[in-house]
Amino acid sequence: MNRNQVIKIGLVFAAPLIIYFLIFFIYPIYLLFKYSFTSASGAFSFINFENMIRDPILYDSLINTLYYFIGSVAVQFSAGFIAAVILNSYTGRLKNAFRSILYIPLTISPIVIALMWLIIFNPTYGPVDYMLDMNLNWLGSMNLAMPTIILANAWEYIPFVFLIIYAGLQSVPKQYYEAASIDGMSRFQTFRYITLPSIRPIMIIAFLLNSIGILQGFTLVYVLTNGGPGFSTYILSFYIYKVAFTYFNLNYASALSLLFLVIIGIYVYAILKLSSVEKYLGIKK
Amino acid sequence: MDNGGSEGIMSEVIVENVTKKFGNFVALDNVNLTIKPKEFFVLLGPSGSGKTTLLRLIAGLEDITEGSIYIGGKKVNDVPPKDRNVAMVFQNYALYPHFNVFDNIALTLKVRGYSKDAIKSRVSEIAKILHIEDILNKKPRELSGGQQQRVALARALVREPSVFLLDEPLSNLDAKLRVEARSFLRSLQKEVGVTTVFVTHDQSEAMALATTIAVLDKGIIKQVGDPYELYTKPKDIFTAGFIGSPAMNMIPGKLVKDGSSWRFVSEDFSVQLINTEFENEYDVILGIRPEHITLVKDDGINAKINNVEPMGAVTYLDIQVGSVELTVQYTGLIKLEAGMEIKVKFVEEKMLFYDRKTEKLLNI
Amino acid sequence: MKKLDAFLLILLIIFSFFALFPIYWTVITALKVNSEIFTIPPVFFPTKITFSNFYTPGTTFGEVSQTAFGSFPWLINSTIIALASSLIGTFVIGAPAAYALTRYLKNVWFARLILFMMMIPEAAFIIPFYVIITKLNMINTWWGLILVYISFTAPLSTWLLMGFFSDIPKSVEEAASIDGLSAFSTFYKIALPMVIPGIMVSIILNFINAWNEFIYALVLTYTPFPTGAQTVPLYLTDFIVIEKSFAWGGLAAAGVIVMLPSIILGIYAQKYLVKGWTMGAVKE
Repeated sequence: MNRNQVIKIGLVFAAPLIIYFLIFFIYPIYLLFKYSFTSASGAFSFINFENMIRDPILYDSLINTLYYFIGSVAVQFSAGFIAAVILNSYTGRLKNAFRSILYIPLTISPIVIALMWLIIFNPTYGPVDYMLDMNLNWLGSMNLAMPTIILANAWEYIPFVFLIIYAGLQSVPKQYYEAASIDGMSRFQTFRYITLPSIRPIMIIAFLLNSIGILQGFTLVYVLTNGGPGFSTYILSFYIYKVAFTYFNLNYASALSLLFLVIIGIYVYAILKLSSVEKYLGIKK
Repeated sequence: MDNGGSEGIMSEVIVENVTKKFGNFVALDNVNLTIKPKEFFVLLGPSGSGKTTLLRLIAGLEDITEGSIYIGGKKVNDVPPKDRNVAMVFQNYALYPHFNVFDNIALTLKVRGYSKDAIKSRVSEIAKILHIEDILNKKPRELSGGQQQRVALARALVREPSVFLLDEPLSNLDAKLRVEARSFLRSLQKEVGVTTVFVTHDQSEAMALATTIAVLDKGIIKQVGDPYELYTKPKDIFTAGFIGSPAMNMIPGKLVKDGSSWRFVSEDFSVQLINTEFENEYDVILGIRPEHITLVKDDGINAKINNVEPMGAVTYLDIQVGSVELTVQYTGLIKLEAGMEIKVKFVEEKMLFYDRKTEKLLNI
Repeated sequence: MKKLDAFLLILLIIFSFFALFPIYWTVITALKVNSEIFTIPPVFFPTKITFSNFYTPGTTFGEVSQTAFGSFPWLINSTIIALASSLIGTFVIGAPAAYALTRYLKNVWFARLILFMMMIPEAAFIIPFYVIITKLNMINTWWGLILVYISFTAPLSTWLLMGFFSDIPKSVEEAASIDGLSAFSTFYKIALPMVIPGIMVSIILNFINAWNEFIYALVLTYTPFPTGAQTVPLYLTDFIVIEKSFAWGGLAAAGVIVMLPSIILGIYAQKYLVKGWTMGAVKE
């Protein structure tokens, strides 16, 4: 087979994907551009982007999104990492059972999680306030609403980080540890010089995939707080939805969507450039 | 399409000026070969020599950069693998893991539109030849390495290909099984009578199996010949060093005209040549196989024993002659110890001289 | 060693408590009678178990009602849409594309494209998808949601299966091509059966993701079966909005019904998940 034949066959196999990609990815992006540069009267205009600059809710949303994103990444990554290290060090018989248990929340729908949180964090009848012996209005308070959302989101996605890093830890060859113990390394030294470098690629992959998942967040805000109280839990995705389907300003919402895509694009590009994640994933030599 | 058995089996393979490049890397450089019908042809070379690439070119799994390949007189450069009527056994056997043995063997016949009855009889026939009748219902993963290898052979031979290609098929077997498989393969090939191209890096395997061997190095054919020829008269230093185990001894030196006769002079000793003639004085490398160095009482080259390795039927001696270490093969057992001083002599008619510049054999 | 294990065990139990408590609370709330739901202090171990939150005689389909049984028409939509978008994403798009990318179009840009498709946040595409589905006249229909859900099932399938395809030895496919199979029959007779575990993970993960999806369903559907394509997450939101603070029992019961299939499927697929996510960078 020569090169042209190889490419031809490849394109036939990939044809469904390519066609779908053109209609449901390229065309949507074209539409976003088109609407973004359209004014209310239907003329070509930069007005939507000019409006962005003067939009205080957008500023709130961006800051909230950053808060939500950094908070979520910090909580999810550290808790997932710690859980993985703990389970990996544990030598008892229940290892696999714990793995399954700690993984379960990941499979649950965000909408069900929202429902759980509504019931559990209810200030009157919920068990959390009772157990903490406090009377906090978790979702109704300016200061607590976002942390509560971050927590609810973390409950679902800690297992994701946990599962990947745990698998990475398990895949470190045993001989490394044996060699380290013969060399007289302490537990901490072994972790620092053997374990961590071995799972670095996997940690970066987990980080990338995890942050993609976090950016998808919308459901919890929609159901738990509806952006409130005030604008304290407006995140960009929620704001886009509001502008589009509550205020019916599709043009401005399109401009916001583009902004969202650009931010994510820059973020992911930076990760790909700064880390060797593509090499680790085997998609680049 | 399949043009039936007997006609195909007589196929000759001609490789004409074939060059294969991967990007800038030249895997094969202007290779020419003729593989005669029914021959057991071995491509022998170290890893990276291009032997597997050549096999894959014949199979049609890679496309040719330059040159042509003919199978049965037909140019096959643009013929896809399935229409070349070649069969191949892969190093890892490449059995279809989700099919049982019967279906593994039968698939190629099904694809080619054979009737159910024909498939059944062909498969059971080939299964009988390869002694795998009892395992036709098993999945590949349930089989031992030796069984997998036989299934791979059966799959390849079932449709009576015109050329039978094997890519290091024995390298995944353990040592004992490998020797058994060798003789089995040899008799199988004779029985089926199909033109066979066999790739290996193991020179003893090549010697044991081949009717003809082509030695490759760095994409170039070094020598083509039968095992006897390759062993006794390797045409260049690479082939001389590659074939034979333990390897041929190589001693740098000079050929000097000494009156009417010639003399090989090395740093540490010199040997008078009685029956050998040369055109010029050369800087040479003397090649001499371990079994062609004999121990003598007197009138020999002084040597010191470094190591003694008794193997039973033979004994290998590592001896030091000045600055070079040589291996000597002594037939039978001998009571010698490291550190002893001995005298050795080279068998003159077995001495091979290679030009140090061209690395080519000078003996005529 | 023993001491350390005991300490780790305690930590693991604490972690497990956090993982399981919300689920436990939802399940017992679904099984409690109202008097034990709305009481202070909260009841941690219900004394009376009831299934009336799931079903009471007189519950009608298609209405947000006090009992979870009313969610049946939404469940039908969810099942059909999740199944169809999962299967199409896996078999029609993902598997052939992953095969193409590992065997024929080995280019880093194609792989990046898949990554890019996976990264797009749903919220950024609600407007164009709304416009496209309106143009196709598929608002509030199965096909409308199925087509849109493929936007996440297909890239995920492709991503997962690339790892699985690159793991199978190329020589098996070469053997098939010598045996006389075309590129296409090599794909579906030889390569595809060799990645069945990957196919299973792909189907299951896609199903879970589609089953759990919320924002597209919110924007693109507005009535349940048989008149529309609203999925079960929307039943829950309607429940929360309409019945706020009244019918926790029924709400929790519906929540149990929604989470049950995805937990079961998720545990089943667990074995291959990591390998899939990380494109085989981690083998379990």
